[in-house]
Amino acid sequence: MNEAGTEETASPPAPPASAGARAGVVVAVTRGVAAEWGKVWSVRSTWWCVAGTVVLTVLAALTLGGSRATELLRDGVTTVRLPATDAAISAMVFAQFTLVALAMPAITSEYASGSIRSTLQATPIRGRMLAAKALVVAPAAFVTGVLSGAAAAAATYLVLSAPIFGGLVTLPAGRTAVDLLRLGVFCALVSVLALGLGTALRNAAGTLTVVFMLLLGLPLLLLMSGAPVAMELALRLPMFAGLAFMESADNPTGGPLPYGSAEGLAWLAGWAVAGLAAGLAVLRRRDA
Amino acid sequence: MISLDRLSKRYGDRMAVDGLTLRLRTGAVTGFLGPNGAGKSTTMRMILGLDRPTEGRALIGGRPYHELENPLRTVGATLDARAVHPGRSVRAHLLALARASGIGRARVAEVLEMVGLDAVAGKRAGTLSLGMSQRAGIAGALLGDPEVLMFDEPVNGLDPDGVRWVRRLMRSLADEGRTVFVSSHLMSEMQLTADHLVVIGKGRLLVDAPLKEVLAAGAVLVRTPHAGDLALLLAAEGVAVERRAENELIATGAPIERIGDLAHEAGIRLHELSAREASLEQAYQELTATSVEYGSTR
Repeated sequence: MNEAGTEETASPPAPPASAGARAGVVVAVTRGVAAEWGKVWSVRSTWWCVAGTVVLTVLAALTLGGSRATELLRDGVTTVRLPATDAAISAMVFAQFTLVALAMPAITSEYASGSIRSTLQATPIRGRMLAAKALVVAPAAFVTGVLSGAAAAAATYLVLSAPIFGGLVTLPAGRTAVDLLRLGVFCALVSVLALGLGTALRNAAGTLTVVFMLLLGLPLLLLMSGAPVAMELALRLPMFAGLAFMESADNPTGGPLPYGSAEGLAWLAGWAVAGLAAGLAVLRRRDA
Repeated sequence: MISLDRLSKRYGDRMAVDGLTLRLRTGAVTGFLGPNGAGKSTTMRMILGLDRPTEGRALIGGRPYHELENPLRTVGATLDARAVHPGRSVRAHLLALARASGIGRARVAEVLEMVGLDAVAGKRAGTLSLGMSQRAGIAGALLGDPEVLMFDEPVNGLDPDGVRWVRRLMRSLADEGRTVFVSSHLMSEMQLTADHLVVIGKGRLLVDAPLKEVLAAGAVLVRTPHAGDLALLLAAEGVAVERRAENELIATGAPIERIGDLAHEAGIRLHELSAREASLEQAYQELTATSVEYGSTR
């Protein structure tokens, strides 16, 4: 849908970026967001995904945090402190897939049921439709991420405070707040990436496969190959970019990541934008 | 209100819609007929900006669909009644469409009542019957109180009451001055509802004419002891005549009234004068005989 998809197709007499046209875009996207917000929360699967993310993050954080504390105790290390949010961050590498299951259906379920056609009848300019979906999915994932992180950090702190874990766990206010915020941003960006790929691929099974490989399979495979080029590539994929961004104390490479938080955020955001751009390109070109 | 200009859609080397040019009349129900695969749904999708034409264009009030200020307030359409997330309630589905178009919640309740779904509006769409889904789809089309309404096979799955209801609804929408464009493969249905017919076959326009004309083009059976005289008379008047038997003629190309009048004026005694059964069905079959995409070979 070339003509129908571009924003620059206003009738000739009107200047393309006039204040009126811009206000029109804002109104259309705002209405789109209201519509999409209602849609996301009107199906049960969304609520299941939010609950699932919280539960999965808590369980994974307890497991990972517990094993790390046990390792340290066994090695006789007593000077290291374990911030409870560290475990939550490591846990999100696994729990992110329930968020993918929340974000992706915002578009793939519409193709599956055919309701994409009524959506586009109401919002025919495709970029606006996708923008509205991204503006709904990202905050939903952000809040879910913060919530899951908070629950996981609290649970980890409570459990690891037990004497058998050596009392190494801490919950410093400032660090916790920053970590939770970053967890939310990570979740928002991953969900936008999933939405973009879902828009490009349309089909849920295909999207889930590609997203899973990109987020977890591929970085681990590349890491295992051991080749320097593969390593470099792996470190720029969303998983390591995310871990760098969240300054995770623990990552599958076994060593520190070669770049800092800001660069990690840049790579992660780059992936989200690339996913969205791929989705938009297909959305504009193909028939609905 | 809606005009198609050489509208075409090619899939590979097959023309699904081939140079369709027509204008839809306001205040009338236009029936859109054609065999399966003739290109009816593709045409409707192109009008709605869902599919991009290979060539030509479809305009609504002079503008392409995506340039409409608030599309649902101009064109209401239901392509596939089942195209709703099965886990979402009809009310939530309509509410999302309303919000996207700046239409208030009260209007959602209003259209739900109009189509008689207020009692089941909270149920998940996947649990509704096909007939209820059709009503829900029609509710969505009515949401923006639009000037143009398009329905793709709206009576599919409806019970006789529902069919009558759709018929009355389309009639009243057209009587309010709206443009109503309804596709169907059911001739009998169109004979009862449409004012105007557009018939396509293999993507090409076959007929764009008032229903009455299409029906008048149907055949008339005449039984008379003076078949020879009447045949000559009708032929002189430009009516195609086929002599079926010693006392039986089939006349095509003139309304039944005119044949009766001609016979009366010439003093020719008639024993039977009847329109051949299901004339639209027949006219349609003659029209599309060469353009059935997926016909059975007998």
